[in-house]
Amino acid sequence: MTRPGRDEDPDRLYTVTRGRSRASSDAFDLVTLVVSESDATPGMQSEHSRILRMCQYPTAVVEVSAELKLPVTVVRILLSDLLDSGLITARHPQTAGSAAHLPDSNLLEQVLVGLRNL
Amino acid sequence: MTAHTRPERPRPQRPAKRQMVLALLITLMVTGLTWTVAVSLADDSVRTPLAWGAGAAALALCVAVPWAVHGRAETRRLTAELAERRHRLDDFADQEVPALVGRLRGGASTDTALGAARPDNNAEAKVLRTLAEEVGRAEAGKAAALAAGAGAAARLQALTIGMLAELRDMEHRHGDEDVLGDLLLLDHRTAQAGRLADSIAVITGARSGRRWSKPIVMESIIRGAMGRIGGYQRVRSHSTVNVAVAGHAAEGVMHALAELLDNAANFSPPTAEVHVYVEEVQTGVVITVEDSGLVMSDVALRRAERAVSAKELDLSTLSGTRLGLAVVGRLARKHGLRISFRPSARGGTGVLMVIPQELITRPRSPEESPSRAAPAKTAPAAAPLPAPTPAPEVERPAPPAAPAADDRPPATREHSPADPTGTDELPQFGESGLPKRRRGRTLANANRQERARQDRAAPAPAHSPAESAARFGAFRQALQGRDRATGDQTELSPREKSHPEEHTP
Repeated sequence: MTRPGRDEDPDRLYTVTRGRSRASSDAFDLVTLVVSESDATPGMQSEHSRILRMCQYPTAVVEVSAELKLPVTVVRILLSDLLDSGLITARHPQTAGSAAHLPDSNLLEQVLVGLRNL
Repeated sequence: MTAHTRPERPRPQRPAKRQMVLALLITLMVTGLTWTVAVSLADDSVRTPLAWGAGAAALALCVAVPWAVHGRAETRRLTAELAERRHRLDDFADQEVPALVGRLRGGASTDTALGAARPDNNAEAKVLRTLAEEVGRAEAGKAAALAAGAGAAARLQALTIGMLAELRDMEHRHGDEDVLGDLLLLDHRTAQAGRLADSIAVITGARSGRRWSKPIVMESIIRGAMGRIGGYQRVRSHSTVNVAVAGHAAEGVMHALAELLDNAANFSPPTAEVHVYVEEVQTGVVITVEDSGLVMSDVALRRAERAVSAKELDLSTLSGTRLGLAVVGRLARKHGLRISFRPSARGGTGVLMVIPQELITRPRSPEESPSRAAPAKTAPAAAPLPAPTPAPEVERPAPPAAPAADDRPPATREHSPADPTGTDELPQFGESGLPKRRRGRTLANANRQERARQDRAAPAPAHSPAESAARFGAFRQALQGRDRATGDQTELSPREKSHPEEHTP
C-alpha cells in the first residue's frame, strides 16, 4: 500500500469474508503451511482460487496474506473455508531438531572470513 | 338612397377622410339634383313646403351618409388591428416568452436574456421583465442550491474515502478478531454513508466519488456494489465471466449496481436472497439482479423504466427517500448503460443492466501476475508423484465472444505448469548463471520430502561442479583485476564478459 485510499481495490474486507471476522477453525497460525489439494474451479471466489493456485507448493499463512495483500485474520477465515470444504490441508512446520541442522557459529564465522578475503 | 355608398366598398384601402369627402360630394350632388328636379316639377301649392322638407331631408342625408361611411371604415380598421394584435399576442406567448425562459434556463443573466427579446410595446416589455426577473431568481436559487449540495456531497465523499482508507489500514494493523469485527462493522457503515454521499453528488451533478486508475474486474465490481448496501450478506453472485470494467466507468457502474441491489434487497423479504448473474453477450456484459420480493405492477415497471431512461433529470419528481432510480438513470445516461425491468421468474423483479462493449476490457492474466505464477512453475517438481496439473485457466470456459479468445491462449501457455520444457529441474538458473530463488523455497526446504527429492535430483547437466569451480575462479580474477588468459578460461570468457557486473556484489 503505497498511498492508502489510492489504487486499492474497491472490494471491502467484509465482502471478502461475507461479514465474518472470526475463522471457523483455529488450525492456522502465522507459519502454518498450507497445501492445496484441488484445483481452482471457475466461479470460485477469486481469493480462494488464488490461494489454491499459490499453495500448490507449501506456503505459509503469512506468505499467503502478504501475497493477497489481506490481513492475516481475513486470510485465516478464507483458509478455514477451504479447509472445511477439503480443498486444502494445513500442517505446522517441523521445528523440532531444526537447531541441530544449523551449522555452528564457528563454521559460519570461518565462511564469513573466507568471503571477506576474496 | 343608401345604395349610393355601395361604390365605396371595393376600395377599402382608400383613406377614411377621402372616402368621407367623396361620399359627401356624391350625396350632395344626388340630393341636390333630386331636390332641384322635385321642386321644379312640383305643384305650386306644395312647392314651398316640399322645398323646405326635401331640403331638410337632403341635408340630413348629407350628414348621415358620410358618417356611415366613416363608421364603416373605422370598423374595418379596428377589426384589422384587433386581428393583428391577437396575432402578435400569440407570437408573444408562443415564442417570446418560451425563448426568454429558455435563455434564462441556459444560464443567461436577466439583462442578457431581456436584451435579446423584442417586445412590441411597453406592456409586453413589463411582462417580460417581471418574468425574467422571477425566472432568473429561481434559476439562480436552484443553481446555488445544487452547487451547495454538490459541495457538501464532495466533502462528505472525501471524508468517507479517507475514512475507508484509514479503516482499511486499521484492519491490516489490528489482528485481534474482535477488533477486526468492529472495524468491519464501521467499514460497512461508512461505505453506506459514502454511497449516500455519492448519490447526492450524482443528483446535484457533481463528479462521482472516485476514479479508479485501472480496470476493475467484474467480481470486484459486484463486491464493491454489495459492500455499499445494508443487506449485502443476502446477495449471491454467480459470475464466471472474466472481464473488467474500464477504470473511468467502474465507479459509475458500481454505484448504479449498488442502487439496484439496494432496491432489490429493500423490496424483498429480509431473509430472501438477491441473486446477481453476469453474462457476456455480443453487445457487452449483462448483469441481472433478481429478487424474490414484491412483483412490480405494469405501471410501476413502466414508471421505473421511465425514471432510468429519462433524457433529463427532473428534480421536482425526487423524493427524499427514493433517490435510487434517479441516480441509476443519471449514471446510465452518463456511461451509456441500458437498464430494463421485467418480472422475475423467481417471483420478484428482475433488473437487467447492459454494460456496453466499449466499457469492457479483458485482463490478460486475470488473477495472477507473473510473480504469482512463478510458484506454479516449480510445483510439479515439488511433488513428483502426482501427474502435472493443468493450469486453472485452461479449465475456464472460453468466453462466447470470439475476438477475446485470441489473446488468451499465449498467456495460458506461458503460465501452464504442464509445460514440459525445462521447468521441472531445480535449481533454476537465470541468464546470469546464478541460481534463482523461488518463492516458498526456504520454507519448503525445511520439508523432509523436499530434501529427499533434492537428494534424488541430479545436478543440472549444464553446470557441472568443474564448470562452476572454473567460473568461480574467473569471477575471483575479474574481481582482483588480474587478466590471465589461460587455456581453460578462454572458453568461458565470453560468457563471463557478457555479465561481469552481475557477479559483483
